Amino acid sequence: MPPLKIPPARPQATVMLSRVAHSLYWMSRYIERAENIARLLEVNLQFLLDFQGIDDAGVKEHWGSILASSGDDELFSTLYETADSRTVTEFLALDLRNPSSILSCVFTARENARMIRDQISVEMWETINELYLFLKAHNTAEIWAAGPYEFFRDIKRNSHLFQGLTDSTYPRNEGWEFIQFGKLLERADKTTRILDVKYHILLPNATDVGGAIDTAQWQAVLRSASALEAYRRFYVREILAWKVAEFLVFSDSFPRSLHYCAVQIDDFLRRILDETGARPRSEAARASRRLLADLQSLTINDVLDQGLHEFLLEAQKSLDRIGDEVVQTTMFYPAETDTEQQQQ
Amino acid sequence: MSIISKSYDPSTFYDEMFRPGGEIRPHYRRLAERLSTLPETEFDQRRAAVDLAFLRRGVTFTVYNNAEGTERIFPFDLIPRIIPAAEWRRIEAGLIQRITALNLFLHDLYHGQKILKDKVVPAAQILSAKHFRREFMNFSVPRDIYVHICGTDLIRDHDGNYLVLEDNLRCPSGASYMIENRAAMRRAFPNLFQSYSVRAIEGYADTLLKSLLHLAPHGADKANVVLLTPGVYNSAYFEHTFLARQMGIPIVEGRDLVVRDARVFMRTTAGLVPVDVIYRRIDDDFLDPTVFRADSQLGVPGLVAAYRAGNVALANSIGTGVADDKVIYAYVPKIIRYYLDQDPILPNVNTYLASETEDRKFILANIAKLVVKSANEAGGYGMLIGPAATRAEVDDFRAKVAANPRNFIAQDPIMLSRSPTWCDRSLEGRHIDLRPYILCGEKTIVTPGGLTRVALRKGSLVVNSSQGGGSKDTWVLNNDD
Amino acid sequence: MRLHVLHRTTFIYAGGARDSFNELRLRPVDDDTQSCRSFSLAIDPGAATSDYSDFYGNSVTYFDVSLEHTRLMIEARSEVDTVPDSERRPLPTVPISDLMSCPEREMYAEFFTDSHYVPLEVELWREMQDALADGRGDVWGDVLRIGGHVFRTLNYRTDVTGVGTRATDALKLRAGVCQDFAHVMLGLCRCAGIPARYVSGYFLNPGRRPDEIEASHAWVEAFVPGYGWASYDPTHKRTADERYVKLAVGRDYADIRPVSGTYRGAPTRALQVEVIVSNGF
Repeated sequence: MPPLKIPPARPQATVMLSRVAHSLYWMSRYIERAENIARLLEVNLQFLLDFQGIDDAGVKEHWGSILASSGDDELFSTLYETADSRTVTEFLALDLRNPSSILSCVFTARENARMIRDQISVEMWETINELYLFLKAHNTAEIWAAGPYEFFRDIKRNSHLFQGLTDSTYPRNEGWEFIQFGKLLERADKTTRILDVKYHILLPNATDVGGAIDTAQWQAVLRSASALEAYRRFYVREILAWKVAEFLVFSDSFPRSLHYCAVQIDDFLRRILDETGARPRSEAARASRRLLADLQSLTINDVLDQGLHEFLLEAQKSLDRIGDEVVQTTMFYPAETDTEQQQQ
Repeated sequence: MSIISKSYDPSTFYDEMFRPGGEIRPHYRRLAERLSTLPETEFDQRRAAVDLAFLRRGVTFTVYNNAEGTERIFPFDLIPRIIPAAEWRRIEAGLIQRITALNLFLHDLYHGQKILKDKVVPAAQILSAKHFRREFMNFSVPRDIYVHICGTDLIRDHDGNYLVLEDNLRCPSGASYMIENRAAMRRAFPNLFQSYSVRAIEGYADTLLKSLLHLAPHGADKANVVLLTPGVYNSAYFEHTFLARQMGIPIVEGRDLVVRDARVFMRTTAGLVPVDVIYRRIDDDFLDPTVFRADSQLGVPGLVAAYRAGNVALANSIGTGVADDKVIYAYVPKIIRYYLDQDPILPNVNTYLASETEDRKFILANIAKLVVKSANEAGGYGMLIGPAATRAEVDDFRAKVAANPRNFIAQDPIMLSRSPTWCDRSLEGRHIDLRPYILCGEKTIVTPGGLTRVALRKGSLVVNSSQGGGSKDTWVLNNDD
Repeated sequence: MRLHVLHRTTFIYAGGARDSFNELRLRPVDDDTQSCRSFSLAIDPGAATSDYSDFYGNSVTYFDVSLEHTRLMIEARSEVDTVPDSERRPLPTVPISDLMSCPEREMYAEFFTDSHYVPLEVELWREMQDALADGRGDVWGDVLRIGGHVFRTLNYRTDVTGVGTRATDALKLRAGVCQDFAHVMLGLCRCAGIPARYVSGYFLNPGRRPDEIEASHAWVEAFVPGYGWASYDPTHKRTADERYVKLAVGRDYADIRPVSGTYRGAPTRALQVEVIVSNGF
């Protein structure tokens, strides 16, 4: 068969349109977000099940902490009267009024994927589309009846499948960098929030520290980051608050730790912004280097002295700054705004 | 049993493959021989394989009229349409003559308008034409070429003569199917290509890119050529992405482009990159909200200003639609004579103009026997096939023509030629047309062959994809058989 | 007459606006009734402009403002010498039949067929027949009768029509502003087979009606064989004399918008237009 004569590509064919980068970035971030929320809900529902003895106030406090750490508490209170397993699950999983619910995230991810359908593989598109269709077909009542764990497992599975397919079918070009960058920013951010959950729960009184509930809560924190087994391999002995914090912040081998993500974020950032010099040129690179420097040099005691919660908030702000700056410089295009007409 | 062994009835139409007595035309003999040695089951298998390949590769188009805009595969028939060299030479000469005249016509309309002042074409027809773009008057266009890509539809009448059915001078589509069809045939029947010397069409994208580069305001060397698409919701989106990839150029939407200081740029992650040539697959109406439809979200504000300043080239140019207006079509033979002092090599289909008094009377009196077309619709819409229509449809059209005569033409129904097409379980004749693609760059090049469209429904004359049409591979031979 | 015109348009946005692309038709024409002695354009925020002539010979200025701004002001100042009334050619009496058979009429086909704001609908046909109930006469005579009819039939009111109102709608409402008066008159002339075009411009108005907006004005020109385009102002029931300054001509309002464009950003909170026409040296 005679070979198709492919003309030499014009140099501009390898540039990436801002709009395409924008869609790849958000598609990736929203899928990661959905997966994280699914895990968070699953783990915490299980936790409450394991501790049937916790009274209503305790349950409310527990869910309140989840909502506070993810920054959704205000919105939740405008939409729902009480925080219990059912309402919070509905809010975080299926409520479209919550722009960060699993459903909203998957819808948005799919919309973005559709806009750049010719950029992603058929398998990637089909997976995200199937997840979308799956979610559309469910409502809270059905999920509770069937048991929510199956539901969350399906979401995690699909999201992992999507990321795996991306890994195996997406060419390692500029688009790949944006996908990874978005995923890692989201992942780092979620780790800080998972860790912060414990902060919002009032410290147990002296007799409870190290007690069954306290330990179980820290275990839940680790499970929310899929980190329990890795932690145990590292620390072997008991679960202690400061050790969990140290692990999730400073570990340089666990993929969801803040440090690990920051290393990768910095690397991708350099590639995206073409920062080849020793000194950073952009605000985003500056923020990234500073964050990385902290994670490479501080100890857990430094962090606890400053206050874990404050440290985590600062980290979130840095990550926000990095993300916003990159979006503004590279992914800017007038997407949401239509043109207005003016005449006289 | 091979597919060719069953009885085939060419009927009274001109059949591409069979003479009236059943004898096979010389240039189809080798094909017939090959097919006769192929068992029906194997033919079916190859057919299924081709369909599956199209599905997987996503060779689709989207249909507008459905509620959700579904994607469909453009049905492909494995029996090729074969054209001997001598026949093609005449077609090619006729098409080059026609597009040359049309380019001169467009230049005249948007400059001195001599042809109107000489009353060869009535001024009223032009001035009231939907696609006559006043905003474009006195523009100078690169190389004075208005139409860079043309798709002219040809049909054959009862005696096998080629006639021009219409020109498509705005955003003619289908070239991607032409290329995909050829690739499909090569996969399905690799040996057939050894028996025949078929002229290649794979260089289409290359030629297209060259004609686009020819327009670059600052020379072809570092020119940035892009394809401007309305986006994923457009029915021809597959073709847009296909051609962009084949040419190795970026595909952009209106919102990826921005005009600064009357220069066009595309928004990339590396900043604003200048754009020199735009292969635009967006209609004039939506191209620039500052000048055309103000509510268009698909276009680029300021694009026309950049074009006027000579900083960007568009292919096809703005305003070409005035020359493929179905009413202007009737004047094309006169247009050819006016600019080239030659008789048209390829004749038109005989056309009656409802805007002319005598013709209008004739049309209204005989409407049930005629094919009536709306001046500006495409895709087979806005058309009445008198002999096949219901009483109500005929009456409705009669009223439309009477109310707005300028907007309608009529033609005697042509008995389109037919080609043997595999329909379910047997080979049957189906009506076809031919859309060759003409590229005007440094030279005017007619791609050998083009898209042969088939009306798949039995007895139907409508070949368009959106209304149940399919396609065949078209072979132009290097020799006469 | 020497006339000075100041035409200031200000768009105030509810927030930031950017990527604004605009076309202006604010420069008075030069023809056999007037000459434009000077013209200046000030745009704030500043922008580079480019000019061209459109299909109807109107002078068009194009500019864009990409940076964010919260208001856009366009100020046009012109000085125009209009040919005194005493020096204007008288209108010939031309029978309608001559018009229908004259060779130029064909070239003006767009001025007696449908246009965006003036589709020739049946209501306009009937109204034309009313206006010319006494039968057809000479071209200019018919135009005057049509103009007088429009003046009498429509009420000048600023609160019933909008920028998108078409001729038939204004006719049904029996009211409108000068733009509507002009569109209706165009409809009637065109139904009568007389090529007629829309004119935008200004006029000196010392006796301004209390409810009349000081803004740009609209009237009509009709084609009279042997003469050319003869103007008539149906809002005031008179020809456009030396007090009138012509800005642009076209089929209807869509062709002559003084300011037209697109931008991205916040919606327009307010539009202020000030027109001052004065005379003297």
